[in-house]
Formats: sequence, structure tokens, C-alpha cells
Amino acid sequence: MAKLPEAREAEINVGDLLRLKRSERPSDQFWNEFDRELHQRMLQALVQKDPWYLQVLRGFSGRMLQSTAVVAAAVIAMVVVWPALQPTIVPVAVAVAQAPSVEVVSAPGEAGLAELWLAEVADLTAVADYHTDVISVDEASSDVKFVRDFGMESVQLASYDASTYSTDSAQARVSFASAGVASLVY
Amino acid sequence: MAITGTVSDTFAHAEEAPVSERDLDWSVVQRVQAGNVGAFDQLVQKYREHIFSVIYNMTSNREDASDLTQETFIKAFQAIARFKGKSSFFTWIYRIAINSTMTFLKKRSRRRYISYENINEEVSSSEIFERLTSKNRSEKGALIQELQEKLNDSLQKLSPKHRTVVVLHEIEGLSHGQIAEITKTSVGTVRSRLHYAKQQLQSYLKDYVG
Repeated sequence: MAKLPEAREAEINVGDLLRLKRSERPSDQFWNEFDRELHQRMLQALVQKDPWYLQVLRGFSGRMLQSTAVVAAAVIAMVVVWPALQPTIVPVAVAVAQAPSVEVVSAPGEAGLAELWLAEVADLTAVADYHTDVISVDEASSDVKFVRDFGMESVQLASYDASTYSTDSAQARVSFASAGVASLVY
Repeated sequence: MAITGTVSDTFAHAEEAPVSERDLDWSVVQRVQAGNVGAFDQLVQKYREHIFSVIYNMTSNREDASDLTQETFIKAFQAIARFKGKSSFFTWIYRIAINSTMTFLKKRSRRRYISYENINEEVSSSEIFERLTSKNRSEKGALIQELQEKLNDSLQKLSPKHRTVVVLHEIEGLSHGQIAEITKTSVGTVRSRLHYAKQQLQSYLKDYVG
């Protein structure tokens, strides 16, 4: 059950007890002695020099620290900032070496196309040293009835035993490749 | 009857209306900085009893408290040229006192000498003491001595950090904000330490409270 206000007022708490300690006070005589001793010690402190390391530390923490900071900032500016502001001339080889590398990933079969392209480029410089108007076959092949009914720039013909092919198949293959290089493979 | 005045009675709270006190102290500090060494005595006379009280209640030894109070003022005197007035002189001198006492307590941790200050006669006629006497049915003189020993003993059982907060708040009457500024902690930390310390003291002094 809650206590009545009067009862609560009559209660003594920790704060009340601690406030009693305010009454623990030194006498006037104590303070006279205190002042005398303090003045003596202050006079000693006035005439007494600090050890050299304290003087150094104190000096360092004052103006020396400020000037050191300025010098340090200047040095950092010279070493770091100044070179960064200078225009740089980089040799090409170095630039290429420094350039980010691009990795080309080829799909399967692209390598063959690349070779073909290189061969065509090489062929551009080559002088055409052929012109075939008539495809001749071995005279011994009596069963050849080849009709030249197509126009083309070149025909590669792999000669083989004539008995193993027919003119029909040769015709069809050459017609298929009429726009360019025809390859007849038997 | 009021037993004694607190710091708050003498000096306005730092966060409430300390401007005039702070300015007054600052003008004295500037005079000392300008070479008028004698002006420092004004600051000594103004703060010595409060600084002594804090240190005495922290150490429970009047001789140590006397030495440390002198040490506090000498440190302040030696460093006053570097005092820029960013905090009040009040906060600054209290901080020096607390730090000096903390350092002393760390060194003294293994041995403890108790030496009490005389209790002012006013206490025997205070209302609280009258209630204590009637409650405990003891003779006044014996009760005063017993209670003084018990109070000092209980304070010494607290850690220095908790003791600092209790002494500054409950005995010196400083606000939470002032204590936070002096001890360089947050107001929340001060409140937390105070709450814990009072709980501890409640158990140590259970024969007298309630």
C-alpha cells in the first residue's frame, strides 16, 4: 500500500544523508594555513624552471607546431600536388602498353573466317595470273560431256578419275557457286 | 535550517545564467595573463572551499584533500597563460581538480587512510538529523560520528567515476549538464552513473534511510 505524503516526507533518503556531508568544513585556521602554503608553492612555481623536455614540448605545442604544420603542408604540396599538375608526355609504346587491354572472345569457327579474310586481303594484292575459258578434262575420259553454260571467273578443278563423277553433278555444283569461286570437289 | 550553500547557490549554473560569473572570472584570468599575478588570489578565494569539498569527499582524507587542492590551483596558475576561455574557469578548475584526484586515487588504490574533517555544529540542529536521532533513538554525538564514518565508508566503496558524479551532484549541487561538461561525458552517462551510485548507497546506508 502506498505511503501517505506525510510519511513520505518523514522518510530519509540517500540524498538527505549525503547533504549532511556539506557540513564537513575546515576551520578558518585551516584556511589561513592553506593560503600561506599555497602562496609559498606558487612563488616556487614562479621561480622554478620546468625541465628542458617540458619546455621543448610546450614550445613544440605552440608556435613551433604551427610553423611545422605550414612547412609540412608546403612539402606535401611540392611532392604530391605539383607533379600532378604538370602536363605529361607519354611515349606511344608506353601508352599502348598502359592502355587497357581488350580481350576478344571469338566464337568457334570465327578463327577460320579470320584466316579466310586474311587470305582474301592477301589476294587483293596478287595479280590475277589465270583466266580459264575452257575446262579441259583428260582426253582419255570418253564419257565426259561437259557443257560450259555458266560464266565465272575461275574454277578450281580437282582432277580425278573421270569415271567416278557425272556431268550433272558437276553442273549443279558450279551453278550453285556461280557468283564467285567455284570449287568442284570429286 | 540550511547546512551550507552549494556551488549552485554561489555560482549560477553554467547553462542557465553563468554569463556574468563567467565574464567576471574571464576578466580576472585576463588580468593574470597580463602579468597581474596577485589577481589569481581572487580566483583562489572564490573556488578553494568548493574544490576542497569535492576532493575531500572523493578521498575522505583532509590532508590529501588539502594537498590536492593546492596542487589544483598551482596547476591552474602554471597553465593559465594557455587558458583560452573556451570553457568557463569554473569548469576548467573543476576539471583539473577531478583529474588530479583521479590520478591520485589510482596511485593510492592499495592503501587508504581515512581522516575526517570536523562536522559543523549546525548539522546537529538540522531537521534531517533530528529525524535520524528520533528514528535511531541514539545520542546525538554518537550518531553524528557513526553516520560520518558510515557515509565516508559508503562513498569509498563506489568506483571513482560513480563517486565523482555523486559528490558533484548530491553534495556540491551541480547540475547534470555541468557535471557532463566537467567530466567530458554525456548527460545520459551522468544520469546513469548517478542512478547506479544511489542504488549502491541505498544498500550501504539501509540502516539510516527509509
